[in-house]
Amino acid sequence: MQLNSPLNAAALALLGLSQASAAADAAPGWSFDTSTLVYSEADGRVQAAEPRVRATRTWDSGRSASLGLTLDTLTGASPNGATPSSVPQTFTTPSGNGSYTIAAGETPLDDTFRDTRIALDASFSTPLGTRNTLTTTLFASTEYDYLSIGAGATIARDFNLRNTTVSLGVNVSQDSIDPVGGVPQPLSRMPGESEPIGRTEGTESKQVFDVLASVTQLLSPTSLVTLTASLSLSDGYLTDPYKILSVVGTDGEPLRYVYEGRPDSRFKQAVYGEYKRFVADRDAWTISLRLMSDDWGVFSQTVDSTYRWNFGARDYLEPHLRYYRQSEADFYRAALFDGEENGLVEASADPRLAAFDAITIGLKYGHTTRGGLPWWVRLEGYTQLGRTAGVPAAAADGLSKFDLEPELNAVMFTAGFRFDR
Amino acid sequence: MLARLDDGSHAWRFRAMASPCEILLDTGDAALAARLGALAQAEAQRIEAKWSRYRPDNLMHAINTAGGAAVEVDEETARLIDYGEHLYRFSEGRFDLTSGVLRRLWRFDGNECWADAGDVAAVLARVGWSRVEWNGRAIRLQPDMEIDFGGIGKEYAVDRSLTLLRDATDAPLLVNYGGDLAASGPRRDGAEWQVGILDSTTRIRLRSGAVATSGSAYRHLWHAGRRYGHLLDARNGYPVADAPQAVTVAAPTCSAAGALSSLALLHGAGARGFLELQGADYHVLD
Repeated sequence: MQLNSPLNAAALALLGLSQASAAADAAPGWSFDTSTLVYSEADGRVQAAEPRVRATRTWDSGRSASLGLTLDTLTGASPNGATPSSVPQTFTTPSGNGSYTIAAGETPLDDTFRDTRIALDASFSTPLGTRNTLTTTLFASTEYDYLSIGAGATIARDFNLRNTTVSLGVNVSQDSIDPVGGVPQPLSRMPGESEPIGRTEGTESKQVFDVLASVTQLLSPTSLVTLTASLSLSDGYLTDPYKILSVVGTDGEPLRYVYEGRPDSRFKQAVYGEYKRFVADRDAWTISLRLMSDDWGVFSQTVDSTYRWNFGARDYLEPHLRYYRQSEADFYRAALFDGEENGLVEASADPRLAAFDAITIGLKYGHTTRGGLPWWVRLEGYTQLGRTAGVPAAAADGLSKFDLEPELNAVMFTAGFRFDR
Repeated sequence: MLARLDDGSHAWRFRAMASPCEILLDTGDAALAARLGALAQAEAQRIEAKWSRYRPDNLMHAINTAGGAAVEVDEETARLIDYGEHLYRFSEGRFDLTSGVLRRLWRFDGNECWADAGDVAAVLARVGWSRVEWNGRAIRLQPDMEIDFGGIGKEYAVDRSLTLLRDATDAPLLVNYGGDLAASGPRRDGAEWQVGILDSTTRIRLRSGAVATSGSAYRHLWHAGRRYGHLLDARNGYPVADAPQAVTVAAPTCSAAGALSSLALLHGAGARGFLELQGADYHVLD
């Protein structure tokens, strides 16, 4: 906290302090937040372990700096985009050097999926004048085929003794991908195992530009509301080079597979509102709503609520409920009908662009030790239910014998603790 | 008196300087909280006893009844007088350590009530820092003058208490003397302190530093259809028209916050402009 007024120095003199000794009074401190998430999808699909650590240095001047490291280890199988078939299906791996076979009637999962991601971020926050805070951030993450670097800045201004905070932020990032086996031509036929892969080696890139405006207002001594609006523009290579679509006949059986292709830009708009209320001078209830729409035709709604029940002086339980619903992208196709690929520029069977509903239910327990250090554990279950969309009419009967939107279930366990020094 | 709060921390409460006083201690250790609370209470009571203008046995009484003689003061009193002199110059005479006698003419109980102009002129003749001799060690008042530390004493007690407690413990704590407060730093969980002020819905969020409030919804008077705040302008002896109901200011020390909030009220309708000019972090309740 700074004060330009000459009164500040006079008041320090009254207390027998100088400006310098007041600054030296600052209690500098480090704090370390660590957590580990274990994520496990049912039926041998994706398994992930994600340890994180964040070190934060705070100065009494109001400045702070933080450094974060996240490690993501992913193994298991994820859908490659193809539909099930009445006979076993064999797919070439992205490298073109191997293959995997999927049993009849099963959703094709690429079990060669294996990845480790390392992400680093550094941020520095400083007061500007008496009521503004500027935070600047640099971040980078890398996987074996992917590199992302970015930077951001957010300025926040407090009003009314910090009963109102307005912030504005921008983020830019530059990503590059170097796909295993090269960059496939969108909607071209995926070659069989013995055929040449016929793809261009190379690196693709994309740029992402985000802006965000947010207002937080204390409504009463016990409630506050946050409203945020954000815009995001992605430009460049947005296709997943490892995802394919099945091209099927009227019987719904696959004739061949083609690589997916997506538009080369995506513009998202989102609004977010959060209401937080302290209940009975003890607990905290939070509910939020997020609406997102983009020019790919995806519209999503998220309702999220937590209730923190401080049942003891140092213990709390926090149930969590989240509901998510999204509509499919305009170019989402469960499969393509024979020949349809020749008339299309864009198509994807990625389940993340499909229409689905998802529910998360969780419970967190937290405890603060006698020494004042908090730790917590959280268990959450996630269920995703697909809604049928993008099925070619001519093959609808044939495909109806397959489960095109299998339910996805996952369990997440997270444990974290903080220590200071 | 020690109270254990719902979140396991402690509060020590007492009355001093005509105000409810409270020390919030973010520790589960009741013995420590009681020891620290008593330490703060002793300091507040020491300050009150030393400079109260209602006691016949203290230094303030000696200064005010010296009959025109110079009175030598201790170093701590000298610092308070220096600060008062600074505020006198900084406020261009609106604030004056010798203006306390004017308060006897006014009753700020929310009613229509106006002092007699002749009375104000008569009492104003006994006010004026420019007629005080102060050399940094000894003070000499004219025989009919008085000084008091109203407007700076309580804030000084907050700062002093915080300094004492900070030296005695690492536990996060907040000192609140009648709505003037100062915190040692964020709470143990890193959260801000949250304290309600007055009767408004404004909640003060404080990580470190101090906050002081001047004015209240009840201490004012009405005259000729205008509302007057409870602080008197020492230049003319009258309250200031159209002052906000209350001004709250955040500053590194409670002394600075208290002075800024009082001086802002003395600027009446210009309170906001004054605070903006000072680069202050403030909240004004109209």
